[in-house]
Amino acid sequence: MSYDIKRSISLYSYQDEYYDGKLDLEGCLRETAKTGATGVELLAEQMIKRFPVAIEEEGFLDNWFAMLKKYNLTPSCYDAFLENRIYANRTLTLKEQISMMNRDLRLASLLGFPVLRTLVSTPMDVIEGSLEYAEKVNVKIGLEVHAPFSLNSSWADGYLSMIDRTGSKYFGFIPDMGIFCKNIPDVLRDKARRQGAKEECLKIVDDAYAQRREKGFVKIKYDLDLGKANMEYRMSNGMKEMMEAVEKAGGGPADKMYANTSFTYSWSDPQDLIDNIQYIFHTHAKFYNVHEDYVETAVAIPEVVEAYKKAGYNGFLSSEYEGGEHLRDIGVDSIEQCRRHQEALRRAIEG
Amino acid sequence: MAGRQIFNPDGFKNIEEDGKITGFSFQFKCQYYRSVTLSIVRNLAVNVDGEDFPKEDITLTINGETFTQDQMTTVIDSDYRWEFGEYGTVNVKKEGGLAKGPHHIKAVQLIVPSYMPFPWEVTCEADFEIK
Repeated sequence: MSYDIKRSISLYSYQDEYYDGKLDLEGCLRETAKTGATGVELLAEQMIKRFPVAIEEEGFLDNWFAMLKKYNLTPSCYDAFLENRIYANRTLTLKEQISMMNRDLRLASLLGFPVLRTLVSTPMDVIEGSLEYAEKVNVKIGLEVHAPFSLNSSWADGYLSMIDRTGSKYFGFIPDMGIFCKNIPDVLRDKARRQGAKEECLKIVDDAYAQRREKGFVKIKYDLDLGKANMEYRMSNGMKEMMEAVEKAGGGPADKMYANTSFTYSWSDPQDLIDNIQYIFHTHAKFYNVHEDYVETAVAIPEVVEAYKKAGYNGFLSSEYEGGEHLRDIGVDSIEQCRRHQEALRRAIEG
Repeated sequence: MAGRQIFNPDGFKNIEEDGKITGFSFQFKCQYYRSVTLSIVRNLAVNVDGEDFPKEDITLTINGETFTQDQMTTVIDSDYRWEFGEYGTVNVKKEGGLAKGPHHIKAVQLIVPSYMPFPWEVTCEADFEIK
């Protein structure tokens, strides 16, 4: 099968340097280009000040496209946050939510993005209500499939029936590679150790993860009450037993943090990508730590890229660095991490 | 490499109004990973040297405008977002302010992004000095 796998960076990856004032939006674009990536993914609410009005003010778009030209970058994906509980006392009505989604589709289109990422919390009827406008502005809505969610699940089936029912080509999935974690990222384990975790407890959690992976994760159900769905998911994947074992081994706060956080990673069979390839618009190449030898110890990069080659994927793998949050006590270097990750992707794609 | 800086080290000050010290203020950055409307910042709690302050005595200044926490629940304007990477100024009523010398602060940010299954809460701590 012929494929065209392109590399992008989500500017989310550079959040620590941006936070510290070491990189501004242009600086992030410059660093992206330096890695050899050709695509750029943006969280407008992270790096565009005075969202959303600033985007439509005079000169903004001229400057944005001038920067893209200067660094030779193509917009890959716009990450939207449907803030449907922006007020404390109510959830926005369906029409208000659709109009917020349409606003974001319009902004994505103005900025040149072909795909908009929406979150799993987006109600299905909001997506359905925005499909016509998505087609009009030619921006596809991609639902992020982020751990603990997965493709090939009853949760995903609901969306597939919606695609069937509407016949729309403007809705599909954006897998986040955090659903292909062979094990718990080493940066989290090292943070737990710095906080005083016991090796015995870490082992209990690591073994439990290995067991979940071996047996197959029990999948999360579709429920807009995400807290409830998440807790059920954790319980049916052995959280209670694992927590008891950690407790019994004398686990403290660091051990419990490690145990709890272990449920934010999951393992899906990369075959899921092949099975759903026609619905996959974009990919968050989530990563946590790439070593000097270009090996990511948690995310199955080679296996995912192999599956995409088999499936004939024509889209971006967009680096999304999420290891920084575990290094904030000792220092983060997102620029180097992205460089290594892009090289790891390049080797997998070209190898 | 040092750890992440949350508080502005030069931001700790007593507030003087009409020749009287009525409280103190400090500056810190939003710890969520993007900018937020103030309407989803559902609590700012401050504790200095073990002393808690009532929610109604704690206000937030963004881009030159000061809002009580009750007012914050309706602030969604682009001009008053708590921008990612920028300091917000927290003002706390306390007659006479803080004594000169070293102090310890614990400040909690409770942010509720619509899509999160659980509220997002972070406790920020620092030692500082009032000069």
